[in-house]
Amino acid sequence: MNLRNIGVVYRKELRDMLRDRRTIINAILIPLLAFPVLLVGFVGVAIFVASRATEKDLKVMILNEAEAPEVAQRIRRELSFVMVQPSEDYVDAINNKRLHLAVEFPAQMEEKIRTAPAEPHTVKLYHFEGQIRSTAAARRVERIVNAYRDEVIAARLESRGLDRGALEPFTFEKENAASADRVTGSILGFLLPYFVILLSLTGAMYPALDLTAGEKERGTMETILASPVHRGDLVAGKFLLTLTFSLVTTSLSIVSLAATVLGGAGLIGQVSKGFVFAVSGTAISAVLFLLLPVTVLFSAGLMAIAVYARNYRDAQNYLAPLMFVVILPAMASMVPGMELNARLALVPILNISLAAREILTGQYQWGLIALIFGSTAAYAAGALVVVARQFNREEVIFRV
Amino acid sequence: MIEALKLCKSFRDKKRGEVHAVQDVSFNCQPGKIYGLLGANGAGKTTTLRLLATILQPTSGTARVAGFDIVQQPQQVRSSVGFLSTATALYGRLTAQEMVEYFGRLNGLDEVTLKARIDGLFSRMDMDEFRTRQCDKLSTGMKQKVSIARTLVNDPPVMIFDEPTVGLDVMTARTIVRFIRECRDAGKTVIFSTHVMSEVEKLCDRVGIIHDGRLLTEGTLDELRQRHGLTDLEDIFVRVVSDGRERRPLGDNQ
Repeated sequence: MNLRNIGVVYRKELRDMLRDRRTIINAILIPLLAFPVLLVGFVGVAIFVASRATEKDLKVMILNEAEAPEVAQRIRRELSFVMVQPSEDYVDAINNKRLHLAVEFPAQMEEKIRTAPAEPHTVKLYHFEGQIRSTAAARRVERIVNAYRDEVIAARLESRGLDRGALEPFTFEKENAASADRVTGSILGFLLPYFVILLSLTGAMYPALDLTAGEKERGTMETILASPVHRGDLVAGKFLLTLTFSLVTTSLSIVSLAATVLGGAGLIGQVSKGFVFAVSGTAISAVLFLLLPVTVLFSAGLMAIAVYARNYRDAQNYLAPLMFVVILPAMASMVPGMELNARLALVPILNISLAAREILTGQYQWGLIALIFGSTAAYAAGALVVVARQFNREEVIFRV
Repeated sequence: MIEALKLCKSFRDKKRGEVHAVQDVSFNCQPGKIYGLLGANGAGKTTTLRLLATILQPTSGTARVAGFDIVQQPQQVRSSVGFLSTATALYGRLTAQEMVEYFGRLNGLDEVTLKARIDGLFSRMDMDEFRTRQCDKLSTGMKQKVSIARTLVNDPPVMIFDEPTVGLDVMTARTIVRFIRECRDAGKTVIFSTHVMSEVEKLCDRVGIIHDGRLLTEGTLDELRQRHGLTDLEDIFVRVVSDGRERRPLGDNQ
């Protein structure tokens, strides 16, 4: 090991990489912007679609208005509704989306409510299950009809001299007892492990490819092999650079995701009624620490595979299936009920996904964390040995 | 100097099975002389030169390059060798100067020596004009100059050229030929491979004809002419190669 030469290789590769626009996009811009863009994109599109879809022009048909003129009148007054003349083909119209909702009142509904209070009635709503505008129209009609029912109930109670309390002996009140960082952690714990593991892989992917298969493709492999640098030092310099990119991508994506969740608290806050969000610095640091051997594993593993490839395209073909091998275990954090245990702690990637989720929600099982770090470090060391061997195999290096 | 001793290189090929790319190749190259390795495509020229440059390891046999053993002391060998071939490309995103600097540093030069060397090389070869331009943006001729500067930055005593003029235009090829002569005049040991007869006649002090991985004959041009009773190198080459083919089964049994 010649540290000076490792440094020379590292600095040269770094300079080379930073001059490539694709590197900057992959290693810095994507991890920084992915989460804010996803959040703004998703929430924005959702709000836009939902509001546009439900704010106006909901086509509603009342099939027999005469049976409930009072309720029908209220439905007509709803601003987002466009009333459609009653006709027999309302089922067809709903199926063809010419109509969003048809309301059918039972015979003499309002009349009987007044004259025969004991008799039950059913208002039928014909809608398109799962269609957003149809559902919105149905919900609004339900609200109008419910308001009318409440008025009927209130009038009946009053005529019997009873109070509203007779129908509602008690109510519920929910209050969040979990601390701000734990609640934020449980949101982060769901998303962060998956995205961060995936981004640390993609962060390493481009340099791993460029420094191995890319070097073969550009014809510089023989140039560098003819120099006095020891192959071990060459691999070490290249590996350290790949690792740097993986770590930068991972750190940036963690910071970006945490900032997005905090920044997006305004949006989420509306849902959770002004709850304050907070991220625990300790938890984030612990997750980063746990990710360290994974980034080593990814960097070395990707290099070992990519150096075997003849060229860039060949390498991409080898690495594409690897994405799936990583994606599946990385999704463990999203599986409810999947708990970390000693056996799962030995499964690479999956173990980190589960442990990161636990850490973010404030659970630290030190024994298992040590086991995960140790086992992943062992896999990473194995991958490093493989990549060093690959660079010494003529049939790999000269496979063109 | 270069001293090849029964160099052998075999590898397994999926389609062809066991391939003997180089078999029992022995020869000597002296300082201040140019040794030409002449052979058709696939004859084993590139493999022989890669073995000498320690890019490949011999299956058996060895060679001493500038006093170092290619099997036991590969790093010292590489420090003593400038290796140039059409396959030794440049890093396109580095500038001409950075490219040469990189190889200077890998050769262990300190920054002061490195700077002096680069300044000297760049001015001698008229390279100052494109010193800070990225290699990707250079013309073929400029690229060749950068490659030459790369091999010379540590002033190695041995130069190995693997078909250095293949695919180059006349002017660039002339630059390379002139450069090879300069290396000889500077007292370096030079070996180069080619299948162009005129290059051998122009440049070489000694010639080795290689075919199917075997060195079939070697000597000075005059020695070869006398030995085979022919004057034209192309005729000698054809004679040696066809004789080699006919004699092969006999030779293998010996």
